[in-house]
Amino acid sequence: MDAEIRITAEPIDTARCKFLVSLPVHSGGVRRFASSEAAQGSPLAEALFAIPGAEVTEVIVSGNLVTVVKRSPAPWQAIGKSVGAAIRSVLASGHAAVAPKTAAAAAPSGVDDDALYDRVAELFDAQVNPMVARHGGRVELIDVQDAVVMLRMAGGCQGCGMADVTLRQGIEAMLQEAVPEVKGIVDITDHTAGTNPYFAAAKK
Amino acid sequence: MPCPPQPRLLLLLPTATYRATAFVEAAHRLGVALTVASELPSTFEQAQPDRLLTLDFSDPERAAQQAYQFARTLPIAGVIGVDDTAAVVAAAIAERLGLKGNPVSAALAARDKHLQRSELARRGVPVPRFELHGLGEDVPDLAARVRYPCVLKPLRLSASRGVIRADDPPEFVAAFARLRQILEQPEVAACGGWARYVLVEDFVPGPEVALEGLVIEGRLHVLGLFDKPDPLDGPFFEETIYLTPSRFPEPARQAIVECGQAAAAALGLREGPIHAELRYNATGPWLIELAARPIGGRCSAVLRFAAGEGGRGTGPASLEELIIRHALGMPLPTLEREERAAGVMMIPVPGAGVLREVRGITEARAVPLVEDVVITAHLGQALVPWPEGSRYPGFIFARGETSEAVEAALRAAHRRLAFVIG
Repeated sequence: MDAEIRITAEPIDTARCKFLVSLPVHSGGVRRFASSEAAQGSPLAEALFAIPGAEVTEVIVSGNLVTVVKRSPAPWQAIGKSVGAAIRSVLASGHAAVAPKTAAAAAPSGVDDDALYDRVAELFDAQVNPMVARHGGRVELIDVQDAVVMLRMAGGCQGCGMADVTLRQGIEAMLQEAVPEVKGIVDITDHTAGTNPYFAAAKK
Repeated sequence: MPCPPQPRLLLLLPTATYRATAFVEAAHRLGVALTVASELPSTFEQAQPDRLLTLDFSDPERAAQQAYQFARTLPIAGVIGVDDTAAVVAAAIAERLGLKGNPVSAALAARDKHLQRSELARRGVPVPRFELHGLGEDVPDLAARVRYPCVLKPLRLSASRGVIRADDPPEFVAAFARLRQILEQPEVAACGGWARYVLVEDFVPGPEVALEGLVIEGRLHVLGLFDKPDPLDGPFFEETIYLTPSRFPEPARQAIVECGQAAAAALGLREGPIHAELRYNATGPWLIELAARPIGGRCSAVLRFAAGEGGRGTGPASLEELIIRHALGMPLPTLEREERAAGVMMIPVPGAGVLREVRGITEARAVPLVEDVVITAHLGQALVPWPEGSRYPGFIFARGETSEAVEAALRAAHRRLAFVIG
């Protein structure tokens, strides 16, 4: 089965890397693990937190996408191979890679993620999406876990050279004002797959 | 006790830049207050007027006045321009607000190839012999008079767009016509009077290097010296591989750095990043270009600085973090690049046409020492080869113990890529 699983690493920076897997890893929405304790019971997350020398601090699993956040300065070239091996091993085992979201898993910090989700969704519908629509873009709210918002960009935002400006200077700032309980924002967009970015870059 | 206000950085990001993510994430890691200014409005500008600003990049003095008005409400502690045009605007803003920066005259000289050559030659910096000619001149007559081999260049286009070598009069006439077509494209012609001129200069033989540096109080601090192992002999000058550390012997490296320092001083650059291209032959170093901005494209990812303070965390510092720290007067970590060799390949345009598919990315990433393969062209994008084009389809990054091993890894990864063009 190993040979059938193709994994593409897309480092965002030295701390974060997305791994696109050719098979579904988790079909039950988005799961985010912010500690090795929270990963207990989810074999893939357990394996990723246990990678020696990586100092993994966060794992996000959604569909075919696994996002890993690490503290170690070790290059993704080295850590990525261990991540790939963990993904292949768990998928080959036939067991669920990630345990279903439970009430306890949903709110380990006491934050009501469901309530936050509703408020963030309202903000996205009422303000964020009408704004990005002017550039042919769309922002999908994927989930809120432990007060961290996970979103995906589409249309003109996907692959746009200014997507990070939109994310940090626009969306994140609006969230800080309207939903100050939100602790962070994670973009799980596959920007390389964007076919119609509003701004395309040129070397300068 | 209330926290002291964070210093505010005004970051000038043209909408066509590759540099947005690297600079925005670096500012985020450093915890600085950030205002991003572009030449076109963001869809969020009205909602976030503290964080997003539109400036007239085509008129630096007007942009400086706009920034001054902004700063009356939200004081700005530093300004950075990430490309040639934004660097001039940043200089004008720095002068207007009394911030750390370059004189406008120096930034203008760095942006315009003819002005730059004139200043450098006047101050004794070795540059190719050059002439300025108008598009309306008698080209056959000109072709009969110029010295060969020569190189025709536009005064401002970046990434070697429009740069063509000619070895004899027929080639000169053909190159002139081709460059004229580029300069007469409406979006280029509208950029200003400079688009009506062509710089003709001697072709300088010899290998080319790129010098990345940070000028602090007029003194050049070297951040990286890159070899370009693929010969850049023309007729077009699309770049491919950058490797650091340089394999030139120490005396040559020293001469190159001294030439870069002399050029920065001759132009009057005082503060901020520079990116210079030089050639080296039996005569010594020759200054080909010097820009008052950091390295372009995604190439900066190849530079990491040892024992940096990543702002809130620890770990290697990026080039962008150093530039932001310098602009804001924050303590600078070491400016020593990490010890390992590193390299980047700007993936050559495989041909003209519409990009339909890129195959072999996973296989390319699996090559030992390769850290990443980034395809920046999107499917459906028209790929345009040099000299008309200026956009690479992507970048390959590698790191290893030696420059030779890194170069081999970059080439091996590139061989695994296949671009399907329709």
